[in-house]
Amino acid sequence: MPILTKRINKTPLGIYIHIPFCRSKCQYCDFYSQPCKDDRLMDAYLDALCAHIKEAGALCPGYRVDTIYFGGGTPSYYGADALAIILTTLRRNFDVANDAEITFEANPDSVTDRLLHRLKAEGFNRVSLGVQCDNDDILKKLGRPHTYAQAVTAYQRIRKAGFRNVSLDLMYGLPGQSLHDWKETLENVLRLNPEHISCYGLKVEEGTPLYEIKDFAGLADDDTQADMYMAAIEALNNRGFRQYEISNFCRKGLYSRHNTKYWTGGEYLGFGPSASSDFAGKRFTMVRDLQAYIQGIRTGGNIMEDVQEIPLRERAGEYLMLRLRTTAGIYAEEYERTFLLPFKPLEEILLKYRAYYRTTQSEDGRWSLTPRGFLVSNDIISDLLIAQDASEPLKKL
Amino acid sequence: MTDLSHIRNFSIIAHIDHGKSTLADRLMEECKAVDLRLKAEQLLDSMDLERERGITIKATAVQLTYTADNGETYDLNLIDTPGHVDFNYEVSRSLAACEGAVLVVDASQGVEAQTLANTYLAIDAGLEVLPVINKIDLPSARPAEVKTEIEDIIGIPAEDAPEISAKNGINIHSVLEMIVRDIPAPKGDRTAPLQALIFDSQYDSYRGVIVYTRIKEGTVRAGMDIKMMATGAVYKVVEVGTMNPLGLTPGTELGAGEVGYITASIKNVADTRVGDTITSLDNPAAEPLPGYRQVQPMVYSGVYPADGAKYQDLRDALEKLKLNDASMSYEPESSIALGFGFRCGFLGLLHMEIIQERLEREYNLDLITTAPNVVYRVTKTDGTVLMVDNPLDYPDPMEIELAEEPFVKASLIAPQEYVGNIMDLAQQRRGEFKNMEYLDANRVELHYEMPLNEIIYDFFDALKSRTRGYGSLDYTFLGYRPSKLVKLDILLNGDVVDALSFILFADNAYPRARKICEKLKDNIPRAQFEIPVQAAIGGKIIARETIKALRKDVLAKCYGGDITRKKKLLEKQKEGKKRMRTFGTVSVPSEAFMAVLKLDEE
Repeated sequence: MPILTKRINKTPLGIYIHIPFCRSKCQYCDFYSQPCKDDRLMDAYLDALCAHIKEAGALCPGYRVDTIYFGGGTPSYYGADALAIILTTLRRNFDVANDAEITFEANPDSVTDRLLHRLKAEGFNRVSLGVQCDNDDILKKLGRPHTYAQAVTAYQRIRKAGFRNVSLDLMYGLPGQSLHDWKETLENVLRLNPEHISCYGLKVEEGTPLYEIKDFAGLADDDTQADMYMAAIEALNNRGFRQYEISNFCRKGLYSRHNTKYWTGGEYLGFGPSASSDFAGKRFTMVRDLQAYIQGIRTGGNIMEDVQEIPLRERAGEYLMLRLRTTAGIYAEEYERTFLLPFKPLEEILLKYRAYYRTTQSEDGRWSLTPRGFLVSNDIISDLLIAQDASEPLKKL
Repeated sequence: MTDLSHIRNFSIIAHIDHGKSTLADRLMEECKAVDLRLKAEQLLDSMDLERERGITIKATAVQLTYTADNGETYDLNLIDTPGHVDFNYEVSRSLAACEGAVLVVDASQGVEAQTLANTYLAIDAGLEVLPVINKIDLPSARPAEVKTEIEDIIGIPAEDAPEISAKNGINIHSVLEMIVRDIPAPKGDRTAPLQALIFDSQYDSYRGVIVYTRIKEGTVRAGMDIKMMATGAVYKVVEVGTMNPLGLTPGTELGAGEVGYITASIKNVADTRVGDTITSLDNPAAEPLPGYRQVQPMVYSGVYPADGAKYQDLRDALEKLKLNDASMSYEPESSIALGFGFRCGFLGLLHMEIIQERLEREYNLDLITTAPNVVYRVTKTDGTVLMVDNPLDYPDPMEIELAEEPFVKASLIAPQEYVGNIMDLAQQRRGEFKNMEYLDANRVELHYEMPLNEIIYDFFDALKSRTRGYGSLDYTFLGYRPSKLVKLDILLNGDVVDALSFILFADNAYPRARKICEKLKDNIPRAQFEIPVQAAIGGKIIARETIKALRKDVLAKCYGGDITRKKKLLEKQKEGKKRMRTFGTVSVPSEAFMAVLKLDEE
């Protein structure tokens, strides 16, 4: 049985595939993507991506891929054939587990029965559908190329095609959206009965078209966004959803296994322009330029930006900033053991916040933020990081 | 010693940016005083800060040797003057060391207000004022009109004023000829008892204080025992000599009419006050030269290191600055809110800004400064009299018999169309109108008596903006007058922040209290709890704002690609917090202190 033992000992790995194409660009979007109808460019990208996967696969014999995530851009817009070819290439060049979670992001305007059936047959088992809200006027303002009715139809098609793990993306704090509107959106969407919901507060990023008009776009202020957030948590809790991260909720333990790697220090490799990796102790990002990426793959040039070897002390900071995004939170014992730093200075702050503002909570050495704490998590985490900076390494465990 | 007839002592006066320093450079070049390869731009303004701000903070002097068209060789002593009302006294002493002044006027801008204060100082000092029209190579130059302006407004002949371009070295020679021809040679008896005017001094770590002086009467030489007539300090002269642009040239003696330096192992610039008279200990002059006064700091402010651990660094830096600047004072003080720091005294607001900037720049310190205040005189009910330069020392209202604040006589000059604006401004600042006179058909001088406190904040800036830059201000201390004063305290979350307390005129208390609360509200970040910001006089709350509790400070999305960015954001937030001061439970960034200082800007 030695061979079997070895296989079991492989390190789990997540793979992220970035599809930088969309039908049209949404007003708030700052992801690296572009509206594209050029088949030649899309084919060239497919070739480059597959070549990249082959090269990388050869370097990862000790890993077993247990999550694959196709994000974008709009993977569903890229088409079933392309996605199927990429997945096949992944399976050929990586050891992909039989029970791997394989997700693709879809937008209502590019979800066809043919696409769904094809991808289901290829082994995709999770769909993340961008719904955002139930108001067609707002969808239009955001530059979304679909209506709410189309989103509902898309959802029903996904179900009919046999997907049993479906996530819906929603946004709050949208132009002209009231707290009442948002509660209604939640009610409507919950009636669809998805397994997973992500709720994102709109953040107006510099460089997006929305940024230019932010002052008169009728955006919710921070207090209203906070009310909307609390309303979402309440509504989702009442309907059997468990919050497992600041913006993510699921039923029946169907949390996103891939995304959870980001918050819990799992290793992942990203393919495609702007995709990030945390692999073998290093963080790196692929060049944020489609042409440069394709060229780099073709000619063997450099396609990596910002390669950083993260020292343990910095990992300790990441541990706080990422783990505290999750309801699982941080463990005193795990923290001290992993980073050889004292938990006590952190605990003093966490205790203070628990006592005065109820923004933190604890149970058996595990600390996490309360929903109100999530809302001010930057404030809390920056305090913890200051205390961590000032702390001396432990002399002994 | 150079014969008196072959010496010319002069300074250059100009409106800011009219080319004073550039002309000085060209004069030095023309006299071959500077090797071109060694030349740094604008040699006279040797402080970085001076170069950047384009103003001269400390006076300096150089000696140029010039062979004129008549074949004779002259010593030309150029004495530079500071250019701001805070340093009016220093300007007057520098001018007192000269017989003439070259007035530089921009050929396209014409006569401007800032020129006037110094021009009148020069005329008052009995100097021959010689106009020069600069920047004639500019397409917009209008030298003929500008000459007429000079004659009309200042009232000095300008017909023959040289038309030059200092920048491009045009006609520099004619300026030098004019200096030799039109500036009177100095007078004086070199055998008389010594009278030497100190117009500047500078600390040098090897030689001690270097005293810059103009010999009015008598002769000074190495080995002589000298006495400072005002401070009474006695020293033995180590070295005398003259200043050239690249350093000091030792000589054997300095005689009446000459400008040079003296070193005498002097440890402290406080012993060599600007305006004091140096005389001989053995054969003293009967009287000091006129015009000396001891400069007193007019404005006080608390200066604290942003990082409390840097207190010793701040002390060292102040000590070093003080070596070179006798007009500044500092004394340790402590604040509950800010920890240990210093109460520093300055001549005026610009002086204060310059010192603070030098501390931050040359000594690499991050500072928090408290609102500047003047010195109040308080007579207590038990008859004792206090001079209060720190709001924390202000007695309880119950113990005060009489509170007085310093008043100044202010003279404001501007073209007549701005008279209305100036009157509005002066009235807002509690100015009492005295009289108004026409200097010529167009320009008006207004006289006010007003509290110094109203001037130190931002009066000069306000005047400039209401007169499109034409207004000029000069003021002299009048004395103390009774006033209705109150101490305003600021409370954050119920606790008094002592560093934010200050004294002000009672009638101004309400509007100012409201503004401060608003400013603090805007500049203190929201915390996870509600923070009341209150202003109080003797325990009575007169204004209140509330900083609402922080409800949202979160990054909604954080996936693979966002992590590095998120780390940077948190790093920034963390560093920002580290720089804040904590008062009780409230964290206050240093910007909040700054914002309170700049209250009157809107």
